[in-house]
Amino acid sequence: MTTQTPAQQPETSREDGSFLRWWKQSSRLRFFLVFSILVLTAWEWLCSVTGVRPYIFPAPSQVFKELINDPQWLAAHTAYSVSATLIAFAISVVLGLILSVGIVYSRLLDRTLFTTLVATNAIPKVAIAPLFVLWIGTDIESKVLIAVLVSIFPMVVDSVVGLRSVDPGMLDLARTYRGTALQMFWKIRFPNALPSIFAGMKVAISLSLVGTIVGEFVGSNWGLGFVILQSQGQYNTPRVFAAILVLSILGTLMFQIVDMIERRAMPWHVSHRNRHDED
Amino acid sequence: MRAETSMSGASGTIMAAEQPVHVKLRGVYKTYNSKRGDIHALDNINLDIREGEFLSLLGPSGCGKSTLLRCLAGLEKISGGGVQVHGKDIDGPPENMGIVFQRDMLLDWRTVLENVLLPLEFRRLPKQEYIEPALKLLETFGLRRSADRYPWELSGGMRQRAAICRALLDDPSLLLMDEPFGALDAITRDNLNIELQRIWTQTNKTILFITHSINEAILLSSRVAVMARDPGRIEEIVEIDLPRPRTLAMRESPDFIRYSAHVRAIFERLGTFIG
Repeated sequence: MTTQTPAQQPETSREDGSFLRWWKQSSRLRFFLVFSILVLTAWEWLCSVTGVRPYIFPAPSQVFKELINDPQWLAAHTAYSVSATLIAFAISVVLGLILSVGIVYSRLLDRTLFTTLVATNAIPKVAIAPLFVLWIGTDIESKVLIAVLVSIFPMVVDSVVGLRSVDPGMLDLARTYRGTALQMFWKIRFPNALPSIFAGMKVAISLSLVGTIVGEFVGSNWGLGFVILQSQGQYNTPRVFAAILVLSILGTLMFQIVDMIERRAMPWHVSHRNRHDED
Repeated sequence: MRAETSMSGASGTIMAAEQPVHVKLRGVYKTYNSKRGDIHALDNINLDIREGEFLSLLGPSGCGKSTLLRCLAGLEKISGGGVQVHGKDIDGPPENMGIVFQRDMLLDWRTVLENVLLPLEFRRLPKQEYIEPALKLLETFGLRRSADRYPWELSGGMRQRAAICRALLDDPSLLLMDEPFGALDAITRDNLNIELQRIWTQTNKTILFITHSINEAILLSSRVAVMARDPGRIEEIVEIDLPRPRTLAMRESPDFIRYSAHVRAIFERLGTFIG
């Protein structure tokens, strides 16, 4: 039986190429790539067979051509949207955390602020976006403000839930150490809330991008939202598709970055315990 | 009979009755307000816990044994009477006290070692000086190799051991244990009972131990305070005069069975049936 052990070694260990090893290990990515290529091929083929006009529904090759047509121009607009999104996200996280701590510790804030937030959230942001453009102009501030309005709500709701869901027994334990309220917050309540806070952050990063695009739709000379509207006005549908593609990549990337930070910040957490086997 | 020296005479342990009082409860009274009216949780509790004594509170659920422990730990205010530790009325949790709950209360985001060191952080003591003692303590509980693991990687018994280490780190003279082994399987529980006895005989700590297992109470305790409910009160205090160190096999001895029959009879008289 002992002679069998070397034979059972995975063959990848013999491979020298790190790319090959990575390729074999990242099954999720591999699956996605193969799947994408299949879909794109089918799409390209359908477009050429049916002869559908590009301004109605462009083929992948046309979208790609538009993508590399003027990379600097597209990159500048992308950078604008990314800046607005990240600024809004940062404000949502910081402000959201401060507000949720206030809501958790103060009954008054809970009854006033929290209720106001819920009511505010019920308003469709697209409906009030024109007002912000009217009040603070078409510069980046109005996009940031709309994006914050959209993304702060999940941040606050999730953080409040997290900060509240601390085991009373843990607080009892800390009380027997004669801990101060500040110690209890930093050593118990806050780390205990981290999983919920990160859940809120993941929703907030996606919604920040949505809010930014909404802001750009309503009034802007910059950003991917502007690119989409302008190109649509010119019947340049391939460019609309190109902008949407960039948006979807951006959204995925930003979500993944938050997810990565989450893993680094909470190696102990349930949701990460067995993931490394799968990726 | 009370003045007899115990069987573990080598260390010269004297029976509890000769030791000074560590914790004194006088006329302790506790009521809760609830929608259905006041709940009378504790009624006129008088109890002296002597230094180095292992005293168990034994009773059915709802008899107020946990409430009594929480009052003593300073986690709840008493409605009347007094709690004194070393002759002084307590205001909040007493110094030099360790506590173990039924659930281990380990913090998920800290390793075992970091969890054990938690009390020092709250008390603003130098952590570096305690790392060695903490590792030694983990060693005696068979957790040395798990020091850098997270709680979720440990079994229930190991987790509770870590919680006990956390309570023992600062070498408290008083250890409060609220059904510490209640959630564990029978075999783990037996092992931990023996380990706890060893710690107690080696360190001479005063231990207040809550359980609803008659066998566990008799196996470990110098005295067992049998509690009754509605209102929560101490019905009888039974002195357990079995030789030490006690072994699991002793549970089948005639003396042990005599004690358990006696305790069972108290519950039957009260109309409480208990495992």
